[in-house]
Amino acid sequence: MALYPSQEWCDAWKNAMNNDPACVENGKNWALDFPGDFLFEVTPGSGLDKTHYIYANIKGGKCLELKMLDSPGEIKPGFYVTGTYGDFKPVVKGEKDFIEGVVRALFKLKGDMGKIMRNAKYIRAMAASISSFKNEYLGE
Amino acid sequence: MPNIDDFIRPKEWVSDFVTDIGKVLREWGKDKYLPVRQKIDEDWTHHKIVKPLLKEVLVDLGINAAFFPYEVGGTDIPDACTLICVLGEEGARIDSGFTVACLCSVWPMLPIILKPHRNMKLLEELGPKFCSSELYVGCNAMTEPASGADIENIDRMQGKTIQTTAKLDGDEWVINGHKIWPTNSGDVANLYGVVCTTKKGSKDLNDFAFIYVPADTKGVSVGGPYQKAGMAADMNTDIWFDQVRVPKRYRAHGPGDDLKYFKEMITYGNMGTAAMCLGVMKGVYEIIKKWTTERIIAGKPLKEHSMVAAALSDIAINIEATSAWIHMYAREVDRPDIYGTNPWDDTLVHKTRGLSTFACKAVEKVCSTAMDYMGSYGYSREFDLEKHWRDGKMLGLWMGGLGLKQMENARYWYELETL
Repeated sequence: MALYPSQEWCDAWKNAMNNDPACVENGKNWALDFPGDFLFEVTPGSGLDKTHYIYANIKGGKCLELKMLDSPGEIKPGFYVTGTYGDFKPVVKGEKDFIEGVVRALFKLKGDMGKIMRNAKYIRAMAASISSFKNEYLGE
Repeated sequence: MPNIDDFIRPKEWVSDFVTDIGKVLREWGKDKYLPVRQKIDEDWTHHKIVKPLLKEVLVDLGINAAFFPYEVGGTDIPDACTLICVLGEEGARIDSGFTVACLCSVWPMLPIILKPHRNMKLLEELGPKFCSSELYVGCNAMTEPASGADIENIDRMQGKTIQTTAKLDGDEWVINGHKIWPTNSGDVANLYGVVCTTKKGSKDLNDFAFIYVPADTKGVSVGGPYQKAGMAADMNTDIWFDQVRVPKRYRAHGPGDDLKYFKEMITYGNMGTAAMCLGVMKGVYEIIKKWTTERIIAGKPLKEHSMVAAALSDIAINIEATSAWIHMYAREVDRPDIYGTNPWDDTLVHKTRGLSTFACKAVEKVCSTAMDYMGSYGYSREFDLEKHWRDGKMLGLWMGGLGLKQMENARYWYELETL
């Protein structure tokens, strides 16, 4: 059981993405000629006591690195996503759609929107891969 | 210093994501379209300039796939009306003719794309083509030589004037008829959504049919493009259907529902039109602001003359009012759970006619006012106003024109019984 968020959870998600055929296939052109790394800023609430940062370096359908950070530091990711723990949880659980959350302003997403529009299938596959391993959550 | 982004847009309803998608289109337009905009009028016959640009927007920027379900490769963006309005505005600020071509590619697919009435079986067959890396363009084939407005005037005409027929022969529809003026006709469209009747002259609303016809189906032929006063990036021709056969499953839904979701198309058409009017007005605002700032008359900028300031205020007021109204109605269309009205309900069809009427009159007035104060420079191509002036007028002439729009709007608000 991986606690979301934690390094153990990051390791599990990285493994899930790299072994998910949908991720590998749909992401094969991801970040080949543009910065495709993500920084997730998960803000407190619903059991989370302080802001957590998760960095995912993804290229060509493979997750190269996925780690917890104490702060964003000097990283300038291709995509910066901000949301509350309470809003991220349903997405991690597979109960809500990430892109819908972005469109409805639950999440703030900074980055090349055109790339998101063209790679929605991959973005969804990345989120869906989380359900392949058991998660547990704070505040539950 | 205020600019076009300072006109009203409710952030509670239009997320940064949607606004940013609009800005992607804006930046693309600045880099790719503006440098060739003054050549588009001459490209009306073969679209040599337009076609690759259409691919860049519809395919590379993902607009074609935006509303298709993710199961068929689409982006599945919710709140479709709000996004359509933002894209319509951003695109029309650059070129409303090109923008209507983009939006009308998806327009005929709305009856089977939008929730809660998706036709997944048909989408599994037709959807991937719109979501692929190749250009695939839709066309709503509605207007006929005898009439367009009468076809849309569902309440009163009830489809009785539709001349294009669809007869079921075994497992196939056999379609015969003649359409004229649809956006993306000629050799642009890959797929038509065709307004038909299963019984000519019938006033039974169940006889209204909306059937998809691939453009390369045997029996489909097209004429040459019409040369128009503007909107050269929107190709309009005749389309003939001569014993055209398509599978029975290519009907959008069935008796009753085809008409219902066609009415939703009208609502979206009204919204898209208003949004494009807004975009044109914002483009004109930028042009006239620059002009009246730089043009010095009697020792001061033109805008510092009271008569001119009054006219400039009217332009800004028209933009603000149109923008506020658009987003209020877009919210209502996107959120039937809150407002209790569906996009296919007469309420929204008729109310959005009012918005479209207002916006079309506003854009005509704004363009004309700007032209008044730019004079010869206004009708000179290099200052980019004259194209908006021509295109802006045309925005008000489709979808039944002013007559049908006003009539349907009055029908709602005043409970007309004979009109």
